[in-house]
Amino acid sequence: MRPFSYTNAKNKEQALQNFTKTSHYLGGGTNLVDLMKEDVERPDQLIEVASLDYKQISKNNEGGYTLGGMLSNSETANHPDIRQNYPLLSMAMLSAATAQIRNMATNAGNLLQRTRCPYFFETSMPCNKREPGSGCGAKDGMNALHAIFGYSEKCIATHPSDMCVALAAMDAKVEVQKTDGSSRTIDFTDFHRLPGNQPEKDNTLEPGELITAIHLDEPKFSDHYYYLKIRERSSYAFALVSVAAGLQIKSGVITKAGLAMGGVAHKPWKFTDVEKYLEGKKPNKVNFKAAAEMAMQDAKPFEGNKYKVEMAKKAIIRALTQAFEREA
Amino acid sequence: MKTIKASGIGNPIDRIEGHLKVTGKAKYASEFPVENMVYAQGVNSTIAKGKITSIDTSEAEKLDGVLAVITYKNAEKLKNYPKDMTNFSLTTVAPVFQDRQVHYYGQYIACVIAETFEQAQYACRLVKVTYEEESPDIHLDKNRGKAYKPGDSADFSRGDMDAGMREADVTLEQTYTTPIEHQQPMELHAAIVNWNDGKVKMYANQQILNQATTSISETFGIPKEDVQIITPYIGGGFGSKLNVYKHITMATMASKMIGRPVQITVTRHQMFTNTGMRQFDEQEMRLGAIKDGSLTALAHHTTSHTAKNLQYFEACGNVSKMLYKTPNNAVTHRLIPLNIQCPSSMRAPGEATGSFALESAIDELAWKLKMDPIDFRIKNDTQVDMGADKPFSSRLLVECLRIGADKFGWENRKMQPGTNKKGNWLIGYGVSAASRRAPYMKTSAKIVLELNEAALNANIKMDATDIGTGTYTIVAQTVSEYLGIPVENVKVEIGDSEFPVTPGSGGSWGAASYCNGARKACENAIAELKKKQNITESEEIEVAELLQQNNLTTFEAEGTAEPSEEYKKHSVFSFGANFTEVWVDKDTGMYRIKRMVNVGSAGKILNPKTAYGQIIGGLTMGAGMVIAERTQVEPNYGNFITRTLADYHVPVNLDLANIDVVFLPEEDKIANEMGVKGIGELGITSVAASIANAIFNATGKRMRDLPITPEKLIEAGLEPGVA
Ligand SMILES: Cc1cc2nc3c(=O)[nH]c(=O)nc-3n(C[C@H](O)[C@H](O)[C@H](O)COP(=O)(O)OP(=O)(O)OC[C@H]3O[C@@H](n4cnc5c(N)ncnc54)[C@H](O)[C@@H]3O)c2cc1C
Ligand code: SF4
Repeated sequence: MRPFSYTNAKNKEQALQNFTKTSHYLGGGTNLVDLMKEDVERPDQLIEVASLDYKQISKNNEGGYTLGGMLSNSETANHPDIRQNYPLLSMAMLSAATAQIRNMATNAGNLLQRTRCPYFFETSMPCNKREPGSGCGAKDGMNALHAIFGYSEKCIATHPSDMCVALAAMDAKVEVQKTDGSSRTIDFTDFHRLPGNQPEKDNTLEPGELITAIHLDEPKFSDHYYYLKIRERSSYAFALVSVAAGLQIKSGVITKAGLAMGGVAHKPWKFTDVEKYLEGKKPNKVNFKAAAEMAMQDAKPFEGNKYKVEMAKKAIIRALTQAFEREA
Repeated sequence: MKTIKASGIGNPIDRIEGHLKVTGKAKYASEFPVENMVYAQGVNSTIAKGKITSIDTSEAEKLDGVLAVITYKNAEKLKNYPKDMTNFSLTTVAPVFQDRQVHYYGQYIACVIAETFEQAQYACRLVKVTYEEESPDIHLDKNRGKAYKPGDSADFSRGDMDAGMREADVTLEQTYTTPIEHQQPMELHAAIVNWNDGKVKMYANQQILNQATTSISETFGIPKEDVQIITPYIGGGFGSKLNVYKHITMATMASKMIGRPVQITVTRHQMFTNTGMRQFDEQEMRLGAIKDGSLTALAHHTTSHTAKNLQYFEACGNVSKMLYKTPNNAVTHRLIPLNIQCPSSMRAPGEATGSFALESAIDELAWKLKMDPIDFRIKNDTQVDMGADKPFSSRLLVECLRIGADKFGWENRKMQPGTNKKGNWLIGYGVSAASRRAPYMKTSAKIVLELNEAALNANIKMDATDIGTGTYTIVAQTVSEYLGIPVENVKVEIGDSEFPVTPGSGGSWGAASYCNGARKACENAIAELKKKQNITESEEIEVAELLQQNNLTTFEAEGTAEPSEEYKKHSVFSFGANFTEVWVDKDTGMYRIKRMVNVGSAGKILNPKTAYGQIIGGLTMGAGMVIAERTQVEPNYGNFITRTLADYHVPVNLDLANIDVVFLPEEDKIANEMGVKGIGELGITSVAASIANAIFNATGKRMRDLPITPEKLIEAGLEPGVA
């Protein structure tokens, strides 16, 4: 590792004031420290924010709940209010990594974890995300784990988080504190971005912005939900593709649908059109199949990840079916 | 005498070294407190082929704590590889920094020595290298023209293959592939080396000390007696710690240069690039059988890769020479030199991979013959190793299959794939036959007896190693058995090259060799003591009493055990059968191994507990071959894309459920006097095939390329004949 300085921020103000261009906030460190060891991230200063007092789960004004940014993934996913009101989120979070990593990982850090593209991790390889202008090694190399939607010439990476897929299906909001002392709230679908010409930017945060909370509106999909994660071993592996599916059903008709996928794009991929399509429809095989076809109609895979299209269709149908069939 | 019975061989006692390990008291190579020690770290090349044009070490050298940077410019001259392609063997020299050539991605090109580990690591990043790059040979397909036959042992044939195929009613021609895999034991390769006055003493986790000292002495051109290696505990090797790798050379060179002890710990990343691997194998199988199930022909052709300057191949086809009765047989192995590091032995080299191809093909042929795959195997059983033209010393394969079938509930298997269902799951049963050579080699040991009051204590010394298998325990049990003393009275000292020579741990020969060596030392001690008192050999007398009669409180003896003439006239193997039940998700391609039954006949089981550990470890590793283990090579640059344990997937608990292990009682005194056969590798052998066969039984899809990942399962079509 390269030498760096370390500050344990006592409060939000200290964290924000200490921030410089070459600083990084430190949450659980499960992603950042790995990347520092790999020489991918090279901060001069780490400002530890994991111990700041944003560790609550509380009711908010929108009739929903607010998750503290520094609360651990484990405590969030296992919290009785989350299990009961947002079981889709809980299920997605518990499918990630291992218990040990979830104990360390913070909610804010989870949103900001970086891609698992192998070229990004290996400093001797070209990678526009790590080193803008060096090229994208994956495009003409190994791209089995890469995007089928929304990529650019510059980068075809995917966002690896499971938690974020559920948040995308549920219309969450992210609250951030700015270095000037003000704060702002970002719609979850606008939080992560597509690579475009700036693959080095994963999201729409400005330098120094500190995530302190995630807001959820009224409880969603607590009866009909499923998070399906297809991976190469039964646990402790990132998704090849994953589906967060939530349904609200009244008198045999879908009144609201939430559908997002992981492992297919630079951001959690929300199928707003498909959600609309499903609303008012009956929850049955024919409609689920049509939804899957519709979801995949614009998919443009690469040589190495062609399998994702078929896999994703099967995953969508299965996730919707499991969500529907779940005993209320 | 009760305690003696409870601790002699065959008893499932707890490991005598277990407590030391779980309390952290057992010292591993990098953990010895050595004064004045410094740290070395290797710098790896970032190209796969070319020439170093410049190395700028100035920035690294300026860093606080950095003592030196070694490159080809200031490295001492070492014995290099011979000009022609050398066989990579246990004693092959390990030269480093001898020229500017780069042969594979990740090759060491410099070594930093610093006061602290952190300084050394940071300084590595500051070494600036430029290259004259050449286009590397990375693809097997693009280099097929360069395939060559690696020596006489690579090919074998018996009878007339083509005639055998013509005679067959049913034939099968299929190709199977297994990927590059890495051993990745828990403990990283590490050493603390002290070069002092022309002599080298090191703590280093080497599996075979007598060979490692030869390799080091030849690399540096110093007498073998001047090299000492100490390694009381090794945190797993799986073959990767058989050879001396270049980090040992770097640390030795550094210690000589700096005049201080040097510690080196290979990083997890370097465990992919610098300490060996299992090679990719492409295996073409041709089989023929007549209607009653008798095999008429069996061919096994393997194509693999090797390094540009070193040669290694795992003999995948060997299993096809000996496992079944077949009049016509052909086996070949071909290698293609690539700019990838030299492959090496990984647990059951040849057998783990070869048995995947053979036992899958056998299953496929049984399906074509509409025969039960167990009946088909039994039909072609043989008590003669036709490949070596020798009888087996003992072979209980049929018993393993029958008893296993019973225990597993094979009769509930549905012949037609896709017919056993539960919810979204398709359930399948699979079987495979396992075999693994059970070598036994010359082994020496020294025993020191000590009488304390009336209690007899014994101290046994040998240069054996414990790679996590339980060597301490089984050697103690052997001494307990042959001296008739409780195991608590036995002290085992191993892992020091100054102790009597053994073949070390590897190739499943450790247990049989170590224990017979220990036995011989005990027997010699008793015989010598009896002789002094003119007591006939057959007379039964306590060893303590013998010492008293001799008026001795202490006595030393040495013993060397070695294979008999009978041993050489036979083929000595362990056998087994694997049974697997898998549940495959009908849509997602994900699957779980619900249960496995393994039945083994491996001679005398020294300690059922440690033996069980070996088998379940083997089964898990075999399952790993199927589930996810694979190292991928970047097609343009030649580096390994899988470079950490986060992306090199080994099985997790949830992948595997119940494992049942049965050992058949077997008396095989031809194998060796104690009738001990190896089990370290038997457990991994053919496991992959039993799982792949179960997946076929579940889904009707034949998966011939490991690992069997969800994407492959989703894309695969149904086999002809599947309803
Ligand atoms: C082996 C392994 C397997 C994994 N498997 C999975 C998986 O299957 N699914 C999955 O979803 N995830 C997986 N993960 C990723 C894991 O979920 C993330 O590493 C974790 O969520 C990151 O949280 P953290 O608090 O440790 O973040 P850190 O590593 O501390 O930080 C990550 C980034 O966020 C920034 N940051 C942290 N806190 C804040 C804040 N409050 N405000 C602004 N910026 C901040 C940091 O500066 C850094 O850039 C895995 C990780 C590992 C190591
Ligand atoms: S896909 Fe993105 S992260 Fe991967 S190599 Fe290309 S630019 Fe880098």
